[in-house]
Amino acid sequence: MKTFVCIKYVPDTSEAEVKLNPDGLTVDDSRFSFDINDADNYAVEESVIIKEAQGGEVTVLSIGPKKSEVMIRMAMAKGCDKAVRIEDDRIAAHDPLMVAKVLAGGLKDQEFDLVLTGCMANDDWHMSTGVALAEELGVNHASMVNKVEILDGKVKVNRELEGGLMEVVEVDLPAVLTIQTGINEPRYAPIRGIRQAQKKELNVVSLDDMGIDAAAVNADASQVVLEKLYIPEVESSAEFIEGEPDEKAEKLASILQKGGLV
Amino acid sequence: MQTFTEKYDLLGCIQCGRCTGGCPVTVRADLNVRQFVNDAYDEDKLEELAKLAEIWDCTACHTCAVRCPKGLKPLEVLIGLRTMIVESGKVEPTVRDALQSVLLEGNPWEKSRATRSDWMEGLDVRIADPDEPVENLFFVCCTIAYDPRVRAVAQNMVKLLNKAGVDYAFLPEDESCCGSEVLTLGEEGLFEMQVEDNTEYLNEFKAERIVTLSPHCFTTYKTHYPDLKTPVVHYTQLLVDLLNDGKLSWKGELPKKIVYHDPCYLGKQGGIYDEPRELLKSIPGAELVEFERRRERSLCCEGGGGKMWVESESKKERLSDTRIKDAKELGAEIVAVACPFCVLTLEDSMKGLGYEEEMRVAEIMELLGELMET
Ligand SMILES: Cc1cc2nc3c(=O)[nH]c(=O)nc-3n(C[C@H](O)[C@H](O)[C@H](O)COP(=O)(O)OP(=O)(O)OC[C@H]3O[C@@H](n4cnc5c(N)ncnc54)[C@H](O)[C@@H]3O)c2cc1C
Ligand code: SF4
Ligand code: SF4
Repeated sequence: MKTFVCIKYVPDTSEAEVKLNPDGLTVDDSRFSFDINDADNYAVEESVIIKEAQGGEVTVLSIGPKKSEVMIRMAMAKGCDKAVRIEDDRIAAHDPLMVAKVLAGGLKDQEFDLVLTGCMANDDWHMSTGVALAEELGVNHASMVNKVEILDGKVKVNRELEGGLMEVVEVDLPAVLTIQTGINEPRYAPIRGIRQAQKKELNVVSLDDMGIDAAAVNADASQVVLEKLYIPEVESSAEFIEGEPDEKAEKLASILQKGGLV
Repeated sequence: MQTFTEKYDLLGCIQCGRCTGGCPVTVRADLNVRQFVNDAYDEDKLEELAKLAEIWDCTACHTCAVRCPKGLKPLEVLIGLRTMIVESGKVEPTVRDALQSVLLEGNPWEKSRATRSDWMEGLDVRIADPDEPVENLFFVCCTIAYDPRVRAVAQNMVKLLNKAGVDYAFLPEDESCCGSEVLTLGEEGLFEMQVEDNTEYLNEFKAERIVTLSPHCFTTYKTHYPDLKTPVVHYTQLLVDLLNDGKLSWKGELPKKIVYHDPCYLGKQGGIYDEPRELLKSIPGAELVEFERRRERSLCCEGGGGKMWVESESKKERLSDTRIKDAKELGAEIVAVACPFCVLTLEDSMKGLGYEEEMRVAEIMELLGELMET
């Protein structure tokens, strides 16, 4: 089994206030912590589980800055064998189609059976990069995968649909699977493992190194123009109803009536 | 490489059972630490032993180490077994996330490093600079820095120091976790790295002493950082000196019955029993009462040993519940502690038992903060 797993380095926006930079197009990320995207962490674990059961090799693929290498080394400590990190300022990173083209470029001339991605990135929530990547590669795909079973020349997967419905599909290999969180329990990357992973191969490449024409994946090539980012104003406020229980009930009833809600 | 037997001096054990006899968690979990010391001698059995759930019940209270007549530290055998699990990567998700957060952000609470000093907002805090010698260099602790419930420990300390005219400085936001819980969770490699990094970082500062706010940082720096140049004290030691020099004075009274709970890391491990009591006795109007199980025999609150991230399977009464019930029996209105973990565990029990109306769990610095003349 030859597997590629695509992982993204994302900020955790849950702990610090989100503020915009003066350009109105980017977020001030100086107070955030960064880590592997949640779903991608599960994709890494799944790739290692598959390797442990089937043998083979797992390669990490990531577009990101130098500081994201700690995340890549952690994936290697868990069992991934090698990695390619793509760094190039010209990539229109806000457009999943452009990102997919670059990732596909990273897979060009490579043999692979499976490509795993997360189903969604915590920062931009596009839910489309993995599927676009399958299209770019001209291979099958299944999205929102929460169970994987490797068969002969194909893979049987469960897809989690709306309302708790489960769809089971068989997909011929090679294929792209976008992995849903909860599919497994990602393991811990111990420091000694991370240290050992420093010896594994990690190639850093630019668009030029990959033979990708920047004009095909930059902001001009993208059909998506990022106009602005803003934090929506809070339009309603919460009202605390005070008093004894019967007073509270009366006040609540009158608010609901006045608002035409009952 | 040292064998397990050599590393933990297992042949020194005479199987007297004093360790298990004193272990506080035996009343609610199946842990028998003597048995582990006995069985770990068989190297072939180690993997099997590491899989036993009980190894995660130990709270690292160190009672067993204090009681062992042969000077062994039986708990370290359990931690060694935890290391085997951690290095396989197959730990509880809560443990995984805490350890990873220490590596990436310098704290086990999954908070961003950039927000570590947010507790200082609105306060006139002196920040340490490697080029400026200072008498008292303060190390805050991850839990006190980030947890809003115990932040007041640091905030009140700043106010008190400013008022008393003490020469002090707090470390800036690049202060990192001391590794106390990393060590007891068994992440040996990460702890070694922390000792190296923190030693180098702290040795850059010129201070007469490092003052820790948490007994976990205090004991960890004292016992596991051999190359640290600066002596380390717990804040209660510094405050008792200030008190004796007449630099601290309280306004008003706190006419309450206070019982002091000895934190394991401050008492059994740090040997500090009297200073917190002296501070409490200095409070006008307060009546200090004592638990039957106190000082070396103090009951563990189960907050240490990485237990903040590992839930016990046992459904039996928590030791912190037992402790709060004992306090209630004594008629205590305030359970005073000198450890952020004890505040969190004991307060949880106090609320769970429904004593909120008549009882309060407080860190000593919270009480002193309320009595400070401003
Ligand atoms: C871990 C361990 C396991 C053992 N297992 C076994 C076993 O399975 N089978 C076996 O046959 N042997 C066993 N032994 C050995 C056996 O226990 C000892 O040989 C024996 O107990 C020694 O007796 P003692 O009187 O010298 O001391 P102890 O048995 O230690 O006696 C001390 C006690 O005797 C009383 N005592 C002693 N002197 C006085 C005094 N002057 N006045 C009043 N009371 C006094 C006190 O109550 C005191 O606590 C074991 C020993 C150890 C350490
Ligand atoms: S107290 Fe010490 S000597 Fe006694 S059984 Fe425990 S480890 Fe062995
Ligand atoms: S450290 Fe405390 S909880 Fe752990 S084995 Fe020793 S006595 Fe028991």
